[in-house]
Amino acid sequence: MTIFVGIDVGGTFTDCVAADLGGGLHHAKALSTKPDPIPGMLAGLTVLAEGMGHSLGSLLQNTGRLAHGTTIGTNMVVERNGARVGLLCTQGHGDAILMMRGAGGFAGRSMQEIFSPATSRPPHPLVPRSHILEVAERIDRNGDVVLPLDTATLRPRLEQWIAEHRPQAIAIALVWSIRNSAHERALAQLVREIDPEIFISLSSEVSPRLGEFERTVASVINAYVGPLSSAYLGRLHQQMRENGLVESLLVMQSNGGVVDVGAARARPLTLIDSGPTGGLSGAAALARALGHSHVIATDMGGTSFDVGLVLGGQPQVADERVIGQYTYLLPHLDVRSIACGGGSIATFNPHTRSLSVGPASAGSQPGPASYGRGGKQATVTDADVVLGLLRPEAFLDGQMALDREAARAAIAPLAEAAGLSIEQAAAGILTINNSNAALLIRSRTLEEGHDPRDFIVYAFGGAGAVHAFGYAEELGAQSVLVPLGNGASTLSAYGIAAADTIRYFESECRLNSPFKPEALQAALAQAETAARAALGDEAEASAIERSLLLRYAGQYFQSISIPVGDGVVDEAFCQRLLHDFEVEYERLYGEGARIVFQSVEAFAVRLKLVGARGFQPGQRDTANGTLVVRDEGHKVFWPAVGEWLSTIVYDGETIGLEDQIEGPALVELPHTTVAVAPGQSLRSDRFGNLVLMMGSRAQENGK
Amino acid sequence: MNMQSRDFGTANRHWDGVHRSYIPGAELVLPDALHLHQGAETKVDPVTFEVIRYALINANLEHSRLIQRLSVSPIVMVARDFQTSILTEVGDLVVLGPNVQYFANAQSLATKWVMENRAVSPGIRAGDMFLSNDPFVGTAHHQDTNLMLPLFIGDELFCWVANTLHFADVGGTSPGSFCIGAEDAWSDPPAFPGIRIVEGGRIRDDMEQVFLRQSRLRVTVQMDLRAAISAAQTTARGIAQLVERYGADTVKQVMRGMMAASAELFRERLASIPDGRWSARSYVESSVPSDRGIYRYQMNLEKRGAQLIVDNRGTDPQAGAINCTFAPLSGSFLASAVQALVPDLAGCFGGAYSCVEFDLESGLLNCAQHPAAVSPSGAATSEIAVNLSTILISKMLSCGDDAARSRMIGVPQPAFYAHIYAGLDAKGTPFVNPTSDNMIGSQGGTATADGIDAGGSFWLLGAIAENIEQSEDAYPLLCLFRRFQRGGEQGAGRHRGGLGTEICTMPWHARHFQIELATNEAFVRANGLSGGNPGGMGATRILRGQGADFAFPDLSAGVTDGGDVISPKALGLMLGEGDMTWWSCAATGGYGDPLLRSPQACLADVTGGMFSAEAVWQVYGVVLVEQPDGSLAIDQQATGDCRVARFADRLGRQPGPRKDLSAAARLVGDCLAIHEGHWHCANCGHDLGEAEQPYKALAHERRLPIDSFAPGFESPHPDLADAMELREFLCGNCGVRLETEISLREDDVLDDIRLT
Repeated sequence: MTIFVGIDVGGTFTDCVAADLGGGLHHAKALSTKPDPIPGMLAGLTVLAEGMGHSLGSLLQNTGRLAHGTTIGTNMVVERNGARVGLLCTQGHGDAILMMRGAGGFAGRSMQEIFSPATSRPPHPLVPRSHILEVAERIDRNGDVVLPLDTATLRPRLEQWIAEHRPQAIAIALVWSIRNSAHERALAQLVREIDPEIFISLSSEVSPRLGEFERTVASVINAYVGPLSSAYLGRLHQQMRENGLVESLLVMQSNGGVVDVGAARARPLTLIDSGPTGGLSGAAALARALGHSHVIATDMGGTSFDVGLVLGGQPQVADERVIGQYTYLLPHLDVRSIACGGGSIATFNPHTRSLSVGPASAGSQPGPASYGRGGKQATVTDADVVLGLLRPEAFLDGQMALDREAARAAIAPLAEAAGLSIEQAAAGILTINNSNAALLIRSRTLEEGHDPRDFIVYAFGGAGAVHAFGYAEELGAQSVLVPLGNGASTLSAYGIAAADTIRYFESECRLNSPFKPEALQAALAQAETAARAALGDEAEASAIERSLLLRYAGQYFQSISIPVGDGVVDEAFCQRLLHDFEVEYERLYGEGARIVFQSVEAFAVRLKLVGARGFQPGQRDTANGTLVVRDEGHKVFWPAVGEWLSTIVYDGETIGLEDQIEGPALVELPHTTVAVAPGQSLRSDRFGNLVLMMGSRAQENGK
Repeated sequence: MNMQSRDFGTANRHWDGVHRSYIPGAELVLPDALHLHQGAETKVDPVTFEVIRYALINANLEHSRLIQRLSVSPIVMVARDFQTSILTEVGDLVVLGPNVQYFANAQSLATKWVMENRAVSPGIRAGDMFLSNDPFVGTAHHQDTNLMLPLFIGDELFCWVANTLHFADVGGTSPGSFCIGAEDAWSDPPAFPGIRIVEGGRIRDDMEQVFLRQSRLRVTVQMDLRAAISAAQTTARGIAQLVERYGADTVKQVMRGMMAASAELFRERLASIPDGRWSARSYVESSVPSDRGIYRYQMNLEKRGAQLIVDNRGTDPQAGAINCTFAPLSGSFLASAVQALVPDLAGCFGGAYSCVEFDLESGLLNCAQHPAAVSPSGAATSEIAVNLSTILISKMLSCGDDAARSRMIGVPQPAFYAHIYAGLDAKGTPFVNPTSDNMIGSQGGTATADGIDAGGSFWLLGAIAENIEQSEDAYPLLCLFRRFQRGGEQGAGRHRGGLGTEICTMPWHARHFQIELATNEAFVRANGLSGGNPGGMGATRILRGQGADFAFPDLSAGVTDGGDVISPKALGLMLGEGDMTWWSCAATGGYGDPLLRSPQACLADVTGGMFSAEAVWQVYGVVLVEQPDGSLAIDQQATGDCRVARFADRLGRQPGPRKDLSAAARLVGDCLAIHEGHWHCANCGHDLGEAEQPYKALAHERRLPIDSFAPGFESPHPDLADAMELREFLCGNCGVRLETEISLREDDVLDDIRLT
């Protein structure tokens, strides 16, 4: 029972990773199946088992932990095919979720969309107005009941409403339920009595944070994805058991941790947008093992480019999340997408007479012109092909030949308009894309108060290793790590296997400096009691990490999380808290930014409960064989050099610890290619990672 | 030195920035001592160009984000009432941020003024920053304070980095500094034309204190000022690094290229629109709370080829506190023009601005001269300017081809409907609450789409209203409801306007609570377009004692009477426990005759829970019937009959026969067309008469009481409302409504569309 298995179901492939305590690491890929992903998962597990000398049954029997990442909830929200939801809210506030604080047209939109009033419209509602029932009740900001909830009077009305609208799930979101949840709980009880089959989602449990709009959104999305997610996870658990799984099934959350399938079914909101967090979680596990304190994790795929930071081995956590233009608050790994993926479309702007890249993307359908699926517009991937960074015959281990002529034909009109050769235009596309990516990544690190030059870039996803030579150099990073070599393309599944069991509990408080120990203690204790009550025995087995969210009084947009340890809350504790906040504030905003004349407020307690740990990366036996050269006669048009250079192509699976590859070179792996630019070099480490050392140009750029 | 000071500066010009608003000439008059980086012509390759362009746009976005995170005032953080920009060495706009759009040229004006008036004394040097909140120099009103940082490369002034923040209180007679009772500038907050607030990178304590001393909220204002200074300095460092890497000439070349491209695109988008002249008008009551006058605002737009010329003739002379200066008037028009025509420039609007000329008369309400009071303009007069500008642009676009018509943007509300509350909370701590509820906004209907319920305002990008819980947490009040106004008549049209919002609050555990500022319009002023109904009204009612036992009163149809009669502009109304305030943020106008709205769209509004079946019958003439399964369906026959009867009602006889209209006819608005020198009705093909004549003179005109279209238009001030009327211009043959007009009874019909 020593095997950790991670399964990541993606749009095209289902990736499976198995790790054992001996350091053995196994990968398998199978085509994802739609609409039911389970056959694809079983197929992937079967391939994985075969590679390990197991049958599917014996692999599952020996699996100590099977963890799974799913996009089912995210897809439901994006495609709008979730449950029929009813919403109960406080009388007078039933329109809040439709009004969206007036910002529905802007939330989560690109800058171009925001500037365009004609297109920045609010989203199609998750709950139509006719499915929202206002309930006579009111609680004030102190948690005092202003207007009592009269369940006896409400009952017949609610019965009729449920009979009329037949909701599969009901979200209950009342004003000030974070200060007093009695009315929400009473309503839940009433709904259960009327129809115990209805999935219930309470705002005070799902996202107990100040702000009725975001809290309502959280409870509505939880309800929207609840019934179908629950059914899917139940079925998956059942089938895994039938195939031999003895231990529990865990599910990946957006907070970077996994959770037991039972808890996941009750609160599926935590699974939404967990897709990109597996990779970041995997990067964090490696960063801890390698002792890298500052990591920029870049996950560049065919269509997306996700960026996250890992500081001190911990991925950064944020609160505010937007999906389908709906904003809610939930602690999640702060992974942000930038529009610089392989599918980003290049255009010629006749007015500035310059090239530009993105934000539009060709997506995977039709995809880049070189995919031969009917795409005609030039993309970043097409530029890769034209430049020779991707060899058409070697793409995806030769499983999908790329069309070089189609790539050239797509870029030719841009080149002509810009007065450049096709190669120069392709090099320009890459230069612009790398520069844009570096700019956005740099502002991300500066926002956290860090200098990008102090970071190591981790490059994964199918397209990350191809482009890292460019954007990491532009960023001024010292080196790039391609995690696990070929495993870079299955890092997400690896991260899922490596993820700890994590639950977050948050509660609002209202404490101003100078802090009083009794009040702080009470706020922390209250949060802890609530967490223990919710988790039961599981809480006992968990390590609790306590933090307070602070800001200067009145700074609504600010949220600085300060870890407070588990010491006694006394005067010294309070002073330390204030000091830590001020130090952090100065670190973020510069010396002198500290505001001496304003009090500091602690506005929320955040508890992170870490239970069973995922597996820890171990050193691996790396073959010390002979480095195999695949092609000595290959030429690449390197953007920074601006000419075709002979570039040796190596088989990446044959790199030994002693080998050092000098650029210009390409190192091909079955699912990705590492480009080593002139002046750069590449070697392998004991964990099976490939490390790209930047040349002197990076130091220049970093200035 | 003194001699030089007299030689330079703008004091002797017509548009001087002292008596009249400052309007810079084509060339700035500057001393030789100020070395400008003009930039040598240099060839920038199409890749480097893009890399630098993107970096400049991003530097400006970063500037905005920093301000939002560092400031403490909800007005900045939540309402995004701020702006950032990068300007050339002479203060022309390169890129504007995604914040308040009518601050379009404010920073440019203030920067040019500083250059013309401060280059000699005290001088403009590296490390300096200037502060200006003088509306006659270049800002909408005193709260919107500009900070300008000259970035020097070597000894040459390379560019400017600027921002504008709305500071929560900068003095004056009213908390929040919207001094609606001000009769003149001496009751407005102090205006600083341009002072050096930062010298050699350090804040000047003397100047900072001069600025802060006026404020009731010194701490908040100081924190926001520090945030603004630090954010601008950080941004300037970023641009300096860009210059270091690529060279000053190259970066400058890119800035100029961005501006040229912006102008080129703007002209290209104008090309499909015929030349012509368009006019728009709006009325406001009460120049100060005690006044019962009605005042007219007018803006006119002329298109001559690729140039737009804007004038303000027809506007009444300046009065009371309902004025604004050149900066918000011009900024409003520029914002509407670029966001409709070239939103894809994503802030690189400077070049497009150069295609607009202003030919203004000074001393009128919308281009006031000193000592007019202008501090409330940010909540009233500037919004009228945005509203009229958007109407002008919409009318112009509605005469163009399909692409032009699809660029129309929803006309925003004609005022910013904020209440400002002030008082003492339960502990006796003072508070000022400039409510942000109107950020929920509403966007009017256009030629191609319905308006947007809760659609915000296009010129307030990304602004967001506070949650009820945030308001109740910060201030001693309880919000009974905040919801859509579901009348149905307001803003009705072929494409209806966005719904308005109604809010009901009462003091909660307050020691003292008063309304510092409230609006209670006497008549509807949100114009409809091309025959659409006008929008709603900004109303305020006080229901004394009705909330005392929290027996939730039934206000489901809103409140039209029964409360205190509040003057159109109210100041200092005391409220006690249990006194409820009901107020509304108006719905926006519709586009096109409501009787032409698609019955399916009406059905969707009913099933979506926005209107009742009764309302769509009443307003749109659509008859819905219940199906056996309980769902609703359209009764096509009954709907058709109902609509014919409504058209006949309007004309007082049965509508005449339809004729085919030539496919070559040019559509103007929704139901007008021009063909072979004649106006036609696009609904029935009827020839209205010669295009030399105003179409309104050829239409069947009806003059109706101002509250005719909706019970919601019933006025709390009948004396003022009776002076106004609603004019309908119908096709005399089929009865379709070509246009509506809100007008003072005694005023002439507005000649609003003339193609040349």
